[in-house]
Amino acid sequence: MLKSCAVSRLCRPLCSSLSLSSPNSLCLKPQVPLFLRPPIYSTRLSDLRKWHDWAKSLASSIGSTFERLDNGPDSSHLCRELKWLMEDAVEDHSLLHQMGVESDRRVKTRADLEELYNLWKQRIEERRPFQYIVGCEHWRDLVLSVQEGVLIPRPETELIVDLVCDAVSKNEVLKGGIWADLGTGSGALAIGICKILGSGGRLIATDLSAAAVAVAAYNVQRYSLQDIIELREGSWFKPLDDVEGKLAGLVSNPPYIPSTDISGLQAEVSRHEPRLALDAGVDGMDALFHLCDGAVSFLKPGGFFAFETNGEKQCRALVDYMENNRSGSFCKLEIVPDFAGIQRFVTGYRRQAI
Amino acid sequence: MSKFLQRSCRRSRVNFQRLRILFSSSSGFSSFLHKSWGNHSESHHVLTPSSWFWFASKYRHFSHSFPRETILVSTGSFAATELSTSDGLTVEGILANNWTILPENESDWKSHATALAQSIHVIKRRLQWKNLIVRCTLLSAELNKPDLWDDPVHAGKISREHGSLLGKMKEVNALEQELLEHIDMIKLAREEKDVELESDLLKALLNMRRNSKEKELEAMLSGEQDPCSCYIEVQAGAGGTESMDWAAMVMQMYKSWAQRRGYKVTVMDEMPGEIAGIKRATIKVDGEFAFGYAKAEIGVHRLVRISPFDSNKRRHTSFAAVAVIPILGNEASRVQINESDLRIERFRAGGAGGQHVNTTESAVRIIHIPTGVTATCQNERSQHQNKASAMAVLQSRLDQLEMARQAQFNAQHTQSLTDITWGNQIRSYVLHPYRMVKDVRTNYEVSDPDSVLNGDLDSFIFSYLSASLDKEEYDA
Ligand SMILES: C[S@@+](CC[C@H](N)C(=O)[O-])C[C@H]1O[C@@H](n2cnc3c(N)ncnc32)[C@H](O)[C@@H]1O
Repeated sequence: MLKSCAVSRLCRPLCSSLSLSSPNSLCLKPQVPLFLRPPIYSTRLSDLRKWHDWAKSLASSIGSTFERLDNGPDSSHLCRELKWLMEDAVEDHSLLHQMGVESDRRVKTRADLEELYNLWKQRIEERRPFQYIVGCEHWRDLVLSVQEGVLIPRPETELIVDLVCDAVSKNEVLKGGIWADLGTGSGALAIGICKILGSGGRLIATDLSAAAVAVAAYNVQRYSLQDIIELREGSWFKPLDDVEGKLAGLVSNPPYIPSTDISGLQAEVSRHEPRLALDAGVDGMDALFHLCDGAVSFLKPGGFFAFETNGEKQCRALVDYMENNRSGSFCKLEIVPDFAGIQRFVTGYRRQAI
Repeated sequence: MSKFLQRSCRRSRVNFQRLRILFSSSSGFSSFLHKSWGNHSESHHVLTPSSWFWFASKYRHFSHSFPRETILVSTGSFAATELSTSDGLTVEGILANNWTILPENESDWKSHATALAQSIHVIKRRLQWKNLIVRCTLLSAELNKPDLWDDPVHAGKISREHGSLLGKMKEVNALEQELLEHIDMIKLAREEKDVELESDLLKALLNMRRNSKEKELEAMLSGEQDPCSCYIEVQAGAGGTESMDWAAMVMQMYKSWAQRRGYKVTVMDEMPGEIAGIKRATIKVDGEFAFGYAKAEIGVHRLVRISPFDSNKRRHTSFAAVAVIPILGNEASRVQINESDLRIERFRAGGAGGQHVNTTESAVRIIHIPTGVTATCQNERSQHQNKASAMAVLQSRLDQLEMARQAQFNAQHTQSLTDITWGNQIRSYVLHPYRMVKDVRTNYEVSDPDSVLNGDLDSFIFSYLSASLDKEEYDA
């Protein structure tokens, strides 16, 4: 973190040939999601069916055990995941309907049967998240590569892109300016927002985690946005020296879970997702306050921001902080709920110089 | 015109002015000609001099073509002159002759001609020919009003309807004319003792006879929404698992039916039953005339069988309700939805959400507050996509509601699942003690429930559609 500024750089090359100077990123090679792997394995339809039946009965045996334990998935969720796993693993989906019929036929798959057995075992026995199993998450209209070490983007966060869309449509000038996504993780927000900014846009995405930067670079590349999105490794605003006071927009879904809550989370999250992406100190506000302070100096007058929070309490605290501790810096502050009705986002603008 | 053509024209005693086209048995070319019939008044442009020449040199006998002013007037209004052969034979005339219709493989022009004349008659009846002409004339009068485009929405509607009616009339007229010209040509060929030409013409007639069956079917689907894609929704009736299993069977029947017809099927929403089957599901069926056909399925479907869920092996009766919603292709006719009238909810939400949870459940429900109409989609892998799909379903539900409100649409075909009363039974599927599927509306029945449940539904659909047309006619 010490030399995060020096480390910050454009991350363009495809990840297999990443050459970041940070030592631990040298060995980072983003995994190719299952659905993008070549269908080089061949298996008998009847064997695939055997695997499927085994996997299904394993899923059914869970019933609502996980749900009662820690609000985890019940068997209907698991069965749906199994269906998606099949879709990602098997080349010709139309054969899936014939699994019972022509069992002598062979199918091409993107993982061999043994791996499929292992993967599903991990899903159920280790509670390894489904998205890490298939190596991707469908988010908005994107399919993003994810893997251990990178937070799986959440459906709630999709709404930030809509909030940006609204802001930009109200003020077209914002479109041409520089945007930043801090703590970009898989690059979800960065990519989603770039599609709104269009070809004239420019966005800098940062993350402290080398794994996140590597995966984000892979995703950026996959959507051919490497000329628009610049990835920089480092802590929050540190890699942004050159754009201080110049940002037209700033978004972040920073860690916001209070430290003590982490261990009680659903096993998929607490055991498998990176703590760095979740833990935000005693009240979960560390990162949010920091972002708020940075927004004062990094946004240009009239610049827009949107932050995701843990819920109503954090939204209120953040707005209070902005109004009292940073009074005069922001305007048009708003608290926006997610689709579950939870007050989730704080948005606003850097006040124009008077 | 080439000398060759002129000479040949003069050689014949038949009035070539009245002949339009020569059909060959060369299927590539005849289908090319056939297509050009769709746009009848223009077809003489399609046949370029060079293609004529090619044609003429390939076959020694030919006619040449002049547009027949009596039939189509370029403004699009119709002169309802009756078409006839050079010696005055009309379609009505052919029917009045009462010639015997022989099987298709008998090469007898009178038989083919009579079969075709009957088809034309059926098509005209199905299209309500007289009304069609009146309506078309009315619309062209309106289209000629100078202030028409003061109301662009109305003008668009009028000109679309006019265009579509005109298209249908042209198509039928083309068929009629084609038939009469073939008869002329056959008579000519006979006079000239040209066996080869005669047999070519007979083959052409046979082709027309076969195609006309398809046209009869299409004529049943003359409603404005019939060509649309649609949603099919199935809901289980009372009776728990037993009915939910039946609902799943019905849904499967439609999926197979749609696939057989070459439609694309997408599951939009599916509420599985606790033990088996579905409580309710919505699929999207993409393709031409999906709604036109599927609308025949609206209502309650009843199943009688020995329940696989009953350890005492008793006979059970279960019900499933089916609704079909057209997906309007024309943006202009769709209901405008106000963003602020919508409430969007995470379906089955609970807990803190956000970073706390990792779930693959991202279903969304959209509620249109003024009407209370809702739509849910849970089959996509992202919330955003679920929302987009739910929005599309909601749009179609609201469109349907609006159509019902304007009552410009057969009320029965606008029923949503909530409107369908469980008494509105349309079909019985009996697996025990005997095996039969019977449509209670048409009394059409078959004794092989398995094939029906595997999607072999067309005969039920066609018999219902033609029966309801006959009924409409009778009512009128
Ligand atoms: C909740 S995740 C959000 C990831 C992504 N934006 C999304 O919405 O899916 C928080 C991200 O912040 C990153 N992060 C944590 N501390 C950071 C810091 N000091 N500076 C920059 N990024 C940080 C984590 O690595 C993680 O990727």
